[in-house]
Formats: sequence, structure tokens, C-alpha cells
Amino acid sequence: MSYKIPMGPYHPALEEPYKLDLICEGETVTDAKLHIGFNFRGIEHLAETRNYIQVIALMERVCGICSNIHTLTLCSAMEKLTGLTPPPRAQYIRVIVAELERLHSHVLWAGIAAKLMGFKTMFMTCFEIREKVMDVLQAISGNRVNYSMNRIGGVNRDIEDPQSIVAMIDALEREMVKTIIPIFTTSTTARSRCAGIGVLTHAKAVSCGVVGPVARASGVGQDLRKEAPYAAYGEMEFEVPVQPDGDVRARLLVRALEIMESCKILRQALTKLPPGELASGGDGSKFNFTTGTATARVEAPRGEVMYSVSWKEGSRNPSRVHVRTPTFVNMPSVRYMVQGARLADTPLIQASIDPCYSCTDR
Amino acid sequence: MTTATSPLESMAATLSAGEPLSEPWVERGGVFWFDCPGINVREVAHAMNAVGARFITMTAYQMPGNEGLRLEYHWDLEGRLLGFNFPLAGNSIESIYDLCEAVDWIEREIHEGFDIEFTGREYEPLLLREGNVCGVNLREEVAK
Repeated sequence: MSYKIPMGPYHPALEEPYKLDLICEGETVTDAKLHIGFNFRGIEHLAETRNYIQVIALMERVCGICSNIHTLTLCSAMEKLTGLTPPPRAQYIRVIVAELERLHSHVLWAGIAAKLMGFKTMFMTCFEIREKVMDVLQAISGNRVNYSMNRIGGVNRDIEDPQSIVAMIDALEREMVKTIIPIFTTSTTARSRCAGIGVLTHAKAVSCGVVGPVARASGVGQDLRKEAPYAAYGEMEFEVPVQPDGDVRARLLVRALEIMESCKILRQALTKLPPGELASGGDGSKFNFTTGTATARVEAPRGEVMYSVSWKEGSRNPSRVHVRTPTFVNMPSVRYMVQGARLADTPLIQASIDPCYSCTDR
Repeated sequence: MTTATSPLESMAATLSAGEPLSEPWVERGGVFWFDCPGINVREVAHAMNAVGARFITMTAYQMPGNEGLRLEYHWDLEGRLLGFNFPLAGNSIESIYDLCEAVDWIEREIHEGFDIEFTGREYEPLLLREGNVCGVNLREEVAK
């Protein structure tokens, strides 16, 4: 006999509002229904009431983890409408902050995954490492969550001491190689909780159009930093980790390997950081927009973010801002991941897509 | 040699061959737009499936005054962003959910936000709760 178990609207692990109705036969999940919208703030509509300075601060608050990525994408779209190109130093700083954000996002997720597996010590280790990344972001921007780094035509703040960041990267990489990757890949507990659990097949990943580490863990090797490079990514050398298995372990491995690649990108960007201006377009207080719609995409820690921004010449406010976040496309695939899974595995399976509910609801 | 006849067959042939995009493709605002009025959204979806493009999203626009609503569809093909524009005659358009599973949530969100009907499919509530009314993203003067 099948029965329904409602999980949420508070997720047992992630403390964010989202609901999953699990249809079970005994301890096995046969199907699931997802409910979102508990965090809907009407941000796209609010954006139409904000001017070109205010809208950047507003969209930074779409997400509390990848806040920088939202302003980067928005500013990239607005630059197409104003005809401004950020100077080379700003393009490099954008890469550096984006990769620091990816690092802290992935390490945070690794900590939460460890906690869900029962690895409390690993949770503390990951958060200790993440704290060092947060310290660097705070040193650069003065903030720990909303960095306010991007503006139309460039960035707001410089990185004055690139070498201090290199030391942090060395420490992070050492810890990843020495502790985190070996435990996640070789420990019996991690393997038993992750291997073969929550599988998203390659065919289903393509059909659902999933993005980011979720796609790459199902053998779909897409990454906008390679396929459609933006900022200074075209000048960076790095690999795109891809795993074929599509299970929780593959998603964990992809993120762990991406941390190593982020370290590689950061070293290059910090070493090659060119001199020059931080922004084009004057003092950043007045911009002239042309009428039309511009679109920009970037590779956020969770996958592709896309902004469509419409403007009418002479207006200070956008006429439309549409945000397509990675979790919005990744979350529907959870239904397929939990089919056939044990009920006890479903919190970890849901968490394995690294969901962001505030992004999804906007 | 290309023997395609309709604009969409010609488009699919061009994309499959990996040729540079020229008319009726127009690059604007970071997107290659297929500027060919009168195309059908389901035919576009078929063509995108045929070339292996990845659906990204749809964006709904409420046009000024009584100009109605407009939908933009975006697909990615090997890093190229492809766009298709569909002005709506009324408040409805054919759903492509049966052809492209990835549109499910965005069709539901647009249905709830802009009260656009995607014909040929059934919806379950996505963002709205029982008793909420569709059209929350429409401007006040035309909202129900």
C-alpha cells in the first residue's frame, strides 16, 4: 500500500522553505511532487521600480550564497545596453571574486553533505576552510555576503594585495588534497551513503536541461566559462570535471574537483592581474541606455544563470528583468533522483543538487 | 547541398552544419534572434530537438498599453544563445511541454505570473497557493 510523506516546507537539512510530497511503498520512494513558492518576494516586479543603481543592490539579494554572480550577470546585460566594456583589470577582478564565491559555495555544500552523512567532524573542517575564503572576500569587499563588487562598466573595488589571496589558496588546496577529497572518496560511510544513490541518468539530465555540477555529474560536460567565456575566462586555463555516474557521489566529486580548478583559475588571475582602471563610464552615477533587450549568462556555483534585461531609452528604470536561476532548472530533476530511493536517503539526495530556494522563488 | 524549403528546415540545416549564422538570424543584445515572423512555437521546438539544442528559459513581457503580451524562448547550442520571439494574439500559445520536458516549470510560472494559457497541457500550482489568482506579475491596470 502506498502512502504519502510530506517533507517540508522546512527542509530537514537545509532549513529553507520548500516542500516535497514523497509517495512511498514501505521504505521505498516511488514518486515525488515538489512545491516551491514559499520564498516568493516578487523581485522581478520590484526591479521595474528601481533605477539603474538601485536595481544592482536589489538583484544582489536574489541569493545569499552567490550574490556576486547575480550582479555580475545583471551588469553584463546592462553593459550591452549602455555600450560599455569593463577594462581588463575589472574583468580579472570579476573572475577572482566569482571563483572565490564558487569556492565558499562548494566548501559550504561539502560541509552540509558531510553533516547529512553523519560526518560532524568533516562539517566543522569544511566550515573552518570556508571561513578563510570568507575572510578574503571580506578583506576585498568589506562584506561577507553582499560584496557590492560589480557596477555597470566594471567593479567598485580593487584587489590591492593579490599575493595574500595566493597564500589562502595554497592552504585550501592542501586541505582539500590531504583531508576532504580522500575522506569523501575512500571512506566506507561516504561511499555507502553516496555511491549509486539518487541517480540522474545522462538521458534524463539532457531531457530536464539541468545545469552546473548536477549536469556535469551526469556526464553532460557543459560549462559557460569554456563554451561562452565572459569576463577574463577566455584567458584562463582549466579543466571542466565531468563524472558519468549521475549519483550523489558523482555530484560530490565534481564539486570537489571544481574546487581544485577554481584554485588553478585564481592563481592565474592573481598572477596575471593587469594594471589599469577599475571601470569605464565615468563616475558611475549616470548612464545612457538604448532601447532594447540584452541577455547575459554566467556559470554560477550551481550552474548557468541567465538575465534578460529590457530598457527604454531615457528611462532610469528597467522595463523588465527576468532571472533564470540554476536551481529553477535543477530542482525538477529531484523527482527522478528520489524514485526508487530509500526514504532515509532523500534529504541527502535533495541536498546533492545544492539547491537555493530563495534563488528559485525570487 | 541544402534542399531545405521552409525557414525552420533551413534553420535546422544551418545549425546542424555549424555554419555561421546569417539572415534571418540577427545578433542583438547577446542573442542570435531568428527574425522570421509567423513561425510556430512547436515547429521551433521540433527543430531545436533535432539539432540537440538545450532549452534555457522563456521570458514573458507585458507590452505597453493594449499591445498585449510577448514571449521569448531561448535555447543554447554549443555556447550560442538562440532566441525566438512570439507576440501573443490573445493570452494563449501552444505548450511545448510534450516536446521539451525542461519547459515544465517555466510554463507554469508564466501561467501563474502573467495569466498566459499554454494550451494542450495540464498545470499543477507552482508558486501560487490555493485561492491565489493568476497574473501576479501583470501591471495593475490590466491585472484581474
